[in-house]
Amino acid sequence: MIPLPARIGLLVLISTAFYTYVGQLVPQKEVQPPQETVLRADLTTADMVTVGRQIMEGKGLCLTCHTIGKSGALRFPDLDGIASRAATREPGLDALEYFAKSIYAPDAFIVSGFNPGMPVINKPPIGLTDQEILCVIAYLQTLGGTATVTLQTSHRYYTPPGATPGAAPEEKAGGEKPTTPPAANEPAGAPTAPPAVAPPAKKGEV
Amino acid sequence: MKGVNNRKLLFVFGPITGLVMFGAVLFIATFLTDREYREPDRVPVAAVDQTPRAAGLADETAAAEAANRAKPYVEAEYRRFPGVGSRVAIWAVAQLHLLFAAFVLAVPIFAVLIEAIGYKTGDKRYDRLAYEFTKLLSVSFSLTATFGAFLTFMLIALYPKFTNYLMSVFSPTFLPYVLLFFLEAFFLYTYYYGWGKFHPLVHLGLGIGLNVVGTGIMLIANAWLTFMMSPAGISDTGAVISVSDAITNYTWMPINVHRVIANVAFGGSVAAAYAAFKFLSAKTDEERAHYDWMGYIGNFVAIISFLPLPFAGYWLAKEIYAYSQTLGLTMMGGAFSWLFIIQAVLIGNLFLGANYYLWLGMGRVEGAQPFQRFVKYLLAAIVLCFMIWATPRSIIATVSEIRAMGGGTHPILGFLGVMSAKNTAVNILILTTFMSFLLYRRTGKISTVSWAKTGQRVQLLIFGAAAIFVIFLGVYGYFVEASVRIGLSVPQVSSVLFAMVSIMAIDVFLYRKPRETGITRWGKMPAVSQYVLIFIAVTFTWLMGLMGYVRSGLRQHWHVYGVIRDTSPDAFTPTLGFATQVVSVTVLIFFALIGFVFWLASLHDLPDYGAETQASHSHGPVGAPSVDYARGGPELAEGPALAVETPGEHGRIS
Repeated sequence: MIPLPARIGLLVLISTAFYTYVGQLVPQKEVQPPQETVLRADLTTADMVTVGRQIMEGKGLCLTCHTIGKSGALRFPDLDGIASRAATREPGLDALEYFAKSIYAPDAFIVSGFNPGMPVINKPPIGLTDQEILCVIAYLQTLGGTATVTLQTSHRYYTPPGATPGAAPEEKAGGEKPTTPPAANEPAGAPTAPPAVAPPAKKGEV
Repeated sequence: MKGVNNRKLLFVFGPITGLVMFGAVLFIATFLTDREYREPDRVPVAAVDQTPRAAGLADETAAAEAANRAKPYVEAEYRRFPGVGSRVAIWAVAQLHLLFAAFVLAVPIFAVLIEAIGYKTGDKRYDRLAYEFTKLLSVSFSLTATFGAFLTFMLIALYPKFTNYLMSVFSPTFLPYVLLFFLEAFFLYTYYYGWGKFHPLVHLGLGIGLNVVGTGIMLIANAWLTFMMSPAGISDTGAVISVSDAITNYTWMPINVHRVIANVAFGGSVAAAYAAFKFLSAKTDEERAHYDWMGYIGNFVAIISFLPLPFAGYWLAKEIYAYSQTLGLTMMGGAFSWLFIIQAVLIGNLFLGANYYLWLGMGRVEGAQPFQRFVKYLLAAIVLCFMIWATPRSIIATVSEIRAMGGGTHPILGFLGVMSAKNTAVNILILTTFMSFLLYRRTGKISTVSWAKTGQRVQLLIFGAAAIFVIFLGVYGYFVEASVRIGLSVPQVSSVLFAMVSIMAIDVFLYRKPRETGITRWGKMPAVSQYVLIFIAVTFTWLMGLMGYVRSGLRQHWHVYGVIRDTSPDAFTPTLGFATQVVSVTVLIFFALIGFVFWLASLHDLPDYGAETQASHSHGPVGAPSVDYARGGPELAEGPALAVETPGEHGRIS
């Protein structure tokens, strides 16, 4: 006969072992803190698209809530085809300015059927830099459109160093502002090449 | 000869243990201090000839001393704890501190309530029960304080810069905290040692004072930890603007409410585990009857507090979302989403265990057969709800399985993984458990009021309407936009709460003076029921550890969310598997220590050394009441009829 304290001890041990085992059955993912990144000044638009996608999946946490290509009872708007909708979503705003406003002042305009809920992305805890946000916009432009932004693109929330504040490019006929065009033979929106990394190589740099 | 040897052994046992422990402390201290580099001992330069080599060494020493003197003070940001690392060390100590603190805060709440029932009804059994619960407090209080001091030192040693920052923000709260701590010691020990020595109302006042002071301490400590999660009252760079805003931050009050309820549930389960331990080691029927009753009440306290806990959890989650969507989504949709599947397993086990105990409890009441036939339906409902709640939204699958499903979500089961289904399942789970309790409460009784049938029909109607309403809203949630769906949990919760309160209110009047159809045979419970109580306590403890982890871990790589970043090597969020291992280790340490507390409390009942022979001729241990367990009803208000001899004027049994 096992003594009572041993029986109780065994029960406690087996119960905790069972819960530990359950803990091993779920997906195991170690989440590292986001690395501080420095974007090269000469990133092409195609590079920015790739970087933007990486930021949306990682540091920006965008795809924690937003989906791409899903329908049904969603909690946050699906981003598939957003580039085409963005140009006409808010009167007076072209796609670029709409994207910028959505990211810098997310509660200023809420898509019908959804609740406010998006955090301000350019402040902690997420804290994307202005250049990183431009990369995110570049990627968003590929979802139903063509990426056109560069790191020199300005909008009402950001003016790149050296550019004249408020000197946003003139609007095109279709409501789209002409941004700095991608370099020739670099098809925007085709994120095939890996992003250029600024030397010297620094951990987490893209 | 053997006896002499044993006596000698016992005589040296204490000192040897003390020496071994002292040696262990010395070893740890030496180990830690030896890790620091020191200059080797050298003969003083003045005592040797000034040879070129000696002069060189002297110059070297002088240069080193000068460099040491000129060394600027640099505040260390982090220090490394050997072996497991700083984060795990702090985690384990904080968790142990919180577990004991929860117990020490919870037990006085229901001890005072039980004592008040005893005072109101004049029934000494309740007084004794309250005293028995209180017996567990004093050692637990010391352990809480010890772990609290340990945690403070660990924070100062391992995270000096961050601790310094927290101290700078909350320094105005420290003096009130210490004052309340003194008061808590005063009230606790006066309440415990003053049992039977004061007028009952004075004693009850001491108990209430203990609860007020204990809650005050918890409120202050909660301000510190909730500030880390949802900081307020500071500038973007962390400069203090308003201490009162820092205290009353977004998650402070929801955590306060959640913790009070959870503490009572946890404390009740641990007290029930103590009763189970005593039941299983009981030598007489009287003891078994008493500890069966005590276990029943401990479990009753645990489950009745547990039922509203998910609602407090909703509120806390809502406030987390209100403070920061990012924080909320990290919790429910990001790194921690799978943790809630583990939580579902734990809570499912708690519901199963609690219901099983109630169903077993029906066996101790004569005339329980009419109700026992419902058990299989209740079990089916609980298992179904459990399965729905534990269904993940996305399923771990191989590439071929994902292809076969057409995505990461199962075409049918995927619908059960969303909040509409889960909210519905947990609400039905709560209603089912409430039904189990209601059936148990009625076992062996027939209502004698003239409106009995009408009353029961109204109860059934309310129950059915609540269940249908909850399921309807759950299904409706699939067809509406997110902005509408999120709001549906409120009427679901409200309808369940309304059903429980109104049905219980009717039940109290229905069975005010019932006709007894059978007696309650306290102590006539199978041993497995007591192991169920221990299992429930382990599960509660583990659940507290897990939810403590998610609350704290949500901040991820931030000490103070969005303000003070964690730049230590431990800033990453570990895997859930690793987290569950740490939780398990702390739970095992807690049970080893609480086992020690149980053992100490049991010593109280043993006869004095030398009086064993004399005591062996009497019935049961000193202070054990003689029990007429053929009387007494099945519910809280009707425990075993104890013919208690009360040495104190207030019914103290000791």
